[in-house]
Amino acid sequence: MERYILPEIPDYHKLEVYEQHGGYAALKKALGMKPEEVTDEVKKSNLRGRGGACFPTGLKWTFMPKQTTKPKYLCVNGDESEPGTFKDRQIFEFNPHLLIEGTAIACCAMGITTAYIYIRGEYGKWIKMLQKALDDAYVKGYVGENILGSGFSTNIYLHKGAGAYICGEESALMNSIEGQRGYPRVRPPFPAQNGVWGCPTTINNVETISNVPLIINRGWEWYSKIGSPKHPGPILVGVSGHVNKPGVYEVATGELLTDLIYRYAGGIPGDTKIKALIPGGSSTMILRGDALEGVRMDAESLKAAGSSVGTAGMIVMDENTDLIRVITRIAKFYYHESCGQCTPCREGTGWLWKILKRFETGDGQTSDIDLLMDIANNIEGNTICALGDAAAWPVQSMIRRFRDEFEKRVSKTPNGSPEPSDRNRHAEKTATVSL
Amino acid sequence: MAKITIDGNQFEADNKRTIIEAARENGITIPHFCWHPKLSVSGNCRMCLVEVEKLPKLVIACSTQVAEGMIVHTNNERVENAREAVMEFLLINHPLDCPICDEAGECKLQSYSYKYDQGYSRFQEDKVHKPKRVELGPRVIFDAERCILCSRCIRFCAEVAGVPQLQFVQRGDHTLIETFPGESLDNPYSMNVVDICPVGALTSRDFRFKSRVWEMSFTESICQGCARGCNIEIGARNNEILRLTPRQNDEVNSYWMCDHGRLDTFKFVNAETRIKAPMIRKDGALIEVGWDEAIAKVASELKSFKKAEIAAVGSAFATNEDNYVFQRFAREILGTKNVDFMRHVVEGDEDNILIRADKTPNSTGAKELGIAPGEGGMGFAEILHGIKEGKIKALYALEDDLAATPEVAEAIAKLEFFAVHASNENATTHSADVVLASSTYAEKNGTVTNFRHRVQRVRPAVTTLEQDRALDGFEMSRWDKFAAQNDTWGKGPRRDARASWKIVSSLATLMGAKFRYNSADEIFNEIAQKVEAFKGLSYLKIGKKGAQLKAKASVAA
Ligand SMILES: Cc1cc2nc3c(=O)[nH]c(=O)nc-3n(C[C@H](O)[C@H](O)[C@H](O)COP(=O)(O)O)c2cc1C
Ligand code: SF4
Ligand code: SF4
Ligand code: SF4
Repeated sequence: MERYILPEIPDYHKLEVYEQHGGYAALKKALGMKPEEVTDEVKKSNLRGRGGACFPTGLKWTFMPKQTTKPKYLCVNGDESEPGTFKDRQIFEFNPHLLIEGTAIACCAMGITTAYIYIRGEYGKWIKMLQKALDDAYVKGYVGENILGSGFSTNIYLHKGAGAYICGEESALMNSIEGQRGYPRVRPPFPAQNGVWGCPTTINNVETISNVPLIINRGWEWYSKIGSPKHPGPILVGVSGHVNKPGVYEVATGELLTDLIYRYAGGIPGDTKIKALIPGGSSTMILRGDALEGVRMDAESLKAAGSSVGTAGMIVMDENTDLIRVITRIAKFYYHESCGQCTPCREGTGWLWKILKRFETGDGQTSDIDLLMDIANNIEGNTICALGDAAAWPVQSMIRRFRDEFEKRVSKTPNGSPEPSDRNRHAEKTATVSL
Repeated sequence: MAKITIDGNQFEADNKRTIIEAARENGITIPHFCWHPKLSVSGNCRMCLVEVEKLPKLVIACSTQVAEGMIVHTNNERVENAREAVMEFLLINHPLDCPICDEAGECKLQSYSYKYDQGYSRFQEDKVHKPKRVELGPRVIFDAERCILCSRCIRFCAEVAGVPQLQFVQRGDHTLIETFPGESLDNPYSMNVVDICPVGALTSRDFRFKSRVWEMSFTESICQGCARGCNIEIGARNNEILRLTPRQNDEVNSYWMCDHGRLDTFKFVNAETRIKAPMIRKDGALIEVGWDEAIAKVASELKSFKKAEIAAVGSAFATNEDNYVFQRFAREILGTKNVDFMRHVVEGDEDNILIRADKTPNSTGAKELGIAPGEGGMGFAEILHGIKEGKIKALYALEDDLAATPEVAEAIAKLEFFAVHASNENATTHSADVVLASSTYAEKNGTVTNFRHRVQRVRPAVTTLEQDRALDGFEMSRWDKFAAQNDTWGKGPRRDARASWKIVSSLATLMGAKFRYNSADEIFNEIAQKVEAFKGLSYLKIGKKGAQLKAKASVAA
């Protein structure tokens, strides 16, 4: 497939090169259109968010109020902290102007005069590169006052994160921009009503926004025919784990997972079998390696397979992988990153990890497997933000699909079970309180 | 308005209400920790998860607005399971140290554990340990392990006290409450966080470890710290007041009170300086005497002066009933027009939350009930002046430390006779000829009127010698009710003090009048008949939350 997001053009990150290849033409075109027409174009293209939830982008834009006395905001989400995800980084490095152009077009479509690009704080090199590109765009009048003489003005600011995964969650991101603690907000109200600074706000992923200039340039009909009809377009797939050529691959949606692994990422070292696959970043449900045949990288196919596209960050695990170690590490990540605001996630993530750690060292009990499932179920759906779900799904899917791995790790010397009948032991445990 | 159904019952609810509010207005309590009627919604505890038909997930009742046709289930199996799960999560890292926790007995976590927890623990791991005994401020101590991170204390400081002094730090189950760097939780309302903390994480430095709550009796009363008249509960054990806590009254103080009111307005009741019995100055020293002797002494002394030589000073610290009987006595028996009371206004020491510059609980009441000069009579400043000039020779005063103010002390020193009602030794009793041991606000029935003309009730919480706890309508602690023979409330010091109205009545009777009051409510009923603003009122009507007076009015002189 031709590459659109990451074209193979040397020095494409430089403004002159970008311009030479037709850069910022989409912005010019959009400035000549009515805002609703721009949104409509995006809507008809069927572009779906690349930030994890595959939410239809055009539809999201229509949530923004047309009549409002308040300023409106766009937050472009480049926090990119999900384990297994490193695709937005490629855009920062190789095609920053596409992102800037898309941001300006989105602003134009929604009548937004301020956009923030929230960028992962650890991305030092890429922050500099993006800032340079932004400065150049300002100088050339693609951003700022009276863009290209159109009368439309919008400012774009880079905002650096400070290392918290939760700040990639859209409402925590807005709090973070406001200088508040990175706590997700209770919804409703939704960002389009009450977002950053209490004003209407749209949040889109970096890659999502980078698709917008393509749609405006070539039209929705062209775009909607790329890849899977219900989830079309080019998509950046990050492949990591046990593959010969880990990296980010731009493909059309609907690519077979097996092709991504074997054709693009060069197969598995030592040609061993695939034991398990996480298709879209650590939050997505883990799939069995023997159930990958025919599964494609798009929302519908992965849903049918019992998982989701997420951020299209694939983690490949070969047959020698210790999946208990994997899930323990994933659980540790969510435990470490839980913001601690709401009870089920704050308490449940730590509990999951502590039990899993016992499995890791061979100290699990059979009853702990069901307990893990119960805890995950009790977190899922009951929290303020989706980090709770993200912590629950890997555990649930791992138990559902690899229960035998847990059973193998059950302690040979049972030390009791946490059944109701076993109250005295608990009483003993909790009696040794240090004060 | 929206028609909604909660647990099968149909209600009409304002569209702006959340489910938890609509339920509450209709008598249904949805369990919750972080939600508080006077604070913003934080939605973090997840205890109020309920099922709304047609919605895929459970929703939190505290932040979900009602809508037409909404059908809510607060107790079905799905909701109960979620609640049980939240309780389990809250308890896994909790120290479970109820036996040594101040909050036990009034702890939401404890109560809900009995109601909604599964009753055993599935948690086998090590608990997270966090700091204990952290001094968040001069008056509040924090135990991070007990904290359930509901953020009520944070929101209180930011939203009610108007000073954002607290914040969360750290993340996940290591999250803690801290003050901002270099700051301390020292706002004038800081101790309210102790009340609204649903667990024992925040404790009062003053009260902690003093008593289990079920050993105390709780008496509804009014704070004596300023003219706001915050509604309070007096917590007492063994005839000793141990703490004051605010009592909700949206017309007066919402759910709050200031730290000064909480800490500085009850200790005098228990203090060593209490006047234990009436006293007469003999050979320069105050000697305890019987009531008859003290009252006879005052009567004979007052009779020896001309009417115009006597001044009567009421008190903004005394009740309406005390002041009413006192002004009757001054006018009808002493026949003096020199009647007034001393103001205690600290200019500038006020805010737009609760604190008033007038540091007395009843200046409005004193004024309304006739503690004011009669025609041609002297006001307080003139009385002082009169004493200095020798025109006023005798002074009879109600409960107030007049001599704490140097210029008043100077005047008092010139008097030929000075009798005062007092509960504690102070500068004024030191210069008095007769000290009449008066009960404090916590030992009698009565009313006070706040700066907005709201009459509110004080009630006896601890007992004096003359009272009978069983007969005088005292509140009971669980100890009182269920303990064995050796009734614990009988312990502790009991002083030979009397309500001021009672002392004045005895004096009036001795001086030939018929002041036959047997109880404070009899006096109040007379006030209600004679004073226009009080027409139609009674203790029953004042109830727990007070009654608004119709208009300003005073007793005809
Ligand atoms: C814990 C958590 C972390 C997230 N991190 C990111 C992130 O780093 N980048 C991102 O684009 N979206 C992230 N999201 C998703 C955002 O909340 C939001 O849905 C997304 O930015 C919307 O963009 P889209 O509609 O273009 O996909 C995260 C969500 C959660 C719950
Ligand atoms: S689900 Fe987790 S990360 Fe999200 S708000 Fe609750 S505690 Fe914070
Ligand atoms: S806070 Fe409540 S549950 Fe916790 S120890 Fe104290 S009384 Fe017990
Ligand atoms: S200290 Fe108390 S009020 Fe404050 S967050 Fe913790 S539990 Fe809530």
